[in-house]
Amino acid sequence: MSVVVDSLAFRYPAAGAGLDGVSLDVVPGEFCAVIGPSGCGKSTLLKLIAGFLSPAAGQIRIAGTDMTGVPTRLRNLGIVFQNYALFPHMTALENVAYPLKLRGVGRAERLRRAGQALERTRLSGLADRHPRQLSGGQQQRVALARALVFAPGALLLDEPLSALDAAHRAAMRDEIRAVQREHGIATLHVTHDQEEALSIADKVAVMRDGALLQLASPQELYDRPADRFVAGFVGHANLFDGTVRGPDLVETAIGPLACATGGQPAGTSVTLLARPEAVRTDPPDDAVNRFAGTLVRDRFLGSLRRYDLAVPGGTILGETLSRADIRSVQIPPECLRILPA
Amino acid sequence: MPIVTALYLLYLAAPIALLAIGSVGQSWTNSLLPSGLTAGWYGQLWADASFRRAFTVSLTVCAATCAVTALIGVPLAYAIYGASRRGVRAAARVLFLLPVAAPPLVLGFGFILVFSSDSLPFLGSGWLLVAGHVVSTLPYLMQTLVSDMRHLDLVTLETAAESLGAGFRQRLVGIVIPSLRQSLSSGLIMVAALSIGEFQMSNLIAGFLSRPYPVVLLQAFYGATGFACAGTMLLLLLAVLSALASASAGRGLPSSKGTPS
Repeated sequence: MSVVVDSLAFRYPAAGAGLDGVSLDVVPGEFCAVIGPSGCGKSTLLKLIAGFLSPAAGQIRIAGTDMTGVPTRLRNLGIVFQNYALFPHMTALENVAYPLKLRGVGRAERLRRAGQALERTRLSGLADRHPRQLSGGQQQRVALARALVFAPGALLLDEPLSALDAAHRAAMRDEIRAVQREHGIATLHVTHDQEEALSIADKVAVMRDGALLQLASPQELYDRPADRFVAGFVGHANLFDGTVRGPDLVETAIGPLACATGGQPAGTSVTLLARPEAVRTDPPDDAVNRFAGTLVRDRFLGSLRRYDLAVPGGTILGETLSRADIRSVQIPPECLRILPA
Repeated sequence: MPIVTALYLLYLAAPIALLAIGSVGQSWTNSLLPSGLTAGWYGQLWADASFRRAFTVSLTVCAATCAVTALIGVPLAYAIYGASRRGVRAAARVLFLLPVAAPPLVLGFGFILVFSSDSLPFLGSGWLLVAGHVVSTLPYLMQTLVSDMRHLDLVTLETAAESLGAGFRQRLVGIVIPSLRQSLSSGLIMVAALSIGEFQMSNLIAGFLSRPYPVVLLQAFYGATGFACAGTMLLLLLAVLSALASASAGRGLPSSKGTPS
């Protein structure tokens, strides 16, 4: 079953912030992450799809049915909340069995199915524990089991990993993805963590100020960001503002950069994007786009080394495996991408 | 620190211990401890019809007060917790401060003024006593309930239940009330203890036949020391009993879980 959001608009009466004509679709089995800075409208989008808020305009279709205006409880959505929202007076098993009880499933059958759901999230040994007796990760798994046990039309995840520590977050991320694949369910995951979004999702929606800036696969988002904001928000980036000077030349603050300008007329203001891993260290003296400078920051991150090289007019961010001293770098022309300024 | 704690506990327990000793002492005049051992004072207490009646009145008023505060308190606390309007919150704060701002004596005089008129001639009735106790104990229960609702983040729990398919009634019976069992029972213990021990207002508004135990007990202090001690010990027992009863009543609420069919 799919989730389709069509030209969804919403305004918070007091703040004025909200959502401006957002459209996206998540097909069955697909995992869509929504990212953006706080206040970008990603949580509002989730609340609108869940039915906690009513849109001013637009349509929400779940499994092909128009659900705009339908109460939350009738939308048949599995939702995992940021703080898990497990019922404190029920055991893990009872929590998972609760949605089945609401659907009139008999006691024996619902306990059997809840037990199976807990087994799938590797929690069968903890079925009789109350939420307060479970760790954050375990509570998370109970919440996930509870959201999936009644075979909902879609799964909504509202920053479900933000309360976990870094070590558990990565493991839980893989687990959520595995369970989601197993169920083949359309999933919308709201998060502020872009690394989480890139690593888990089939496609990522980047939002800002209530608008959807780009909806694409993680690879496309990283390699071909729609604009300067997306480029800077997703992963690390060198962004150079400049003016097109010739067919393959852009004048920037750090000097002229040779790159394919894609036929942009001379005088056009553009932004050039170069990902740090594309920056080469210690190139030959006659290399194009070669810059000499001094190392101002050098961060050893284990598998790689991230550095800032101060050059006249700016700084170049680079990543390398080399541990040698860095005095000059090259930004290969084919690794430079033109974005609208 | 342990010495201070021990001294404090001693200070707290000494009067109760002395009362207990006095209640079984034959005679106690101008001495540190009474002389002789007797159960006679308790016998006299039991034989006294006005004490027996007062005992029953106190238990009945306490039970009724607990029931009414629970019935009013839960929905009211829920409304205050869910209210986003500033006016409602301000009203709730005033309500919480009411017992401090308006002592029972003031409330009692107010009751006399209003309910001794020809149009509202209810002064002296048992129900008015219950109403008085409800007014003075409700804020304590509400405060406990509202802070527990905030602590539990009841809104999120309800939202979760709603997303799982629960309607209003199912959420109320299956989530809200069971989640509040702990705070409801501890709040009711407070209500029961306050109601049993309430003297100031009861003394003003109770009728001759609806006098609760503390009001009648005052008279015992005009008689023999042993009798007064036995009467006070009984009040203590009454308070403990009603607290236990209200606690178990709070816990006995529907625990509607995911499993019962």
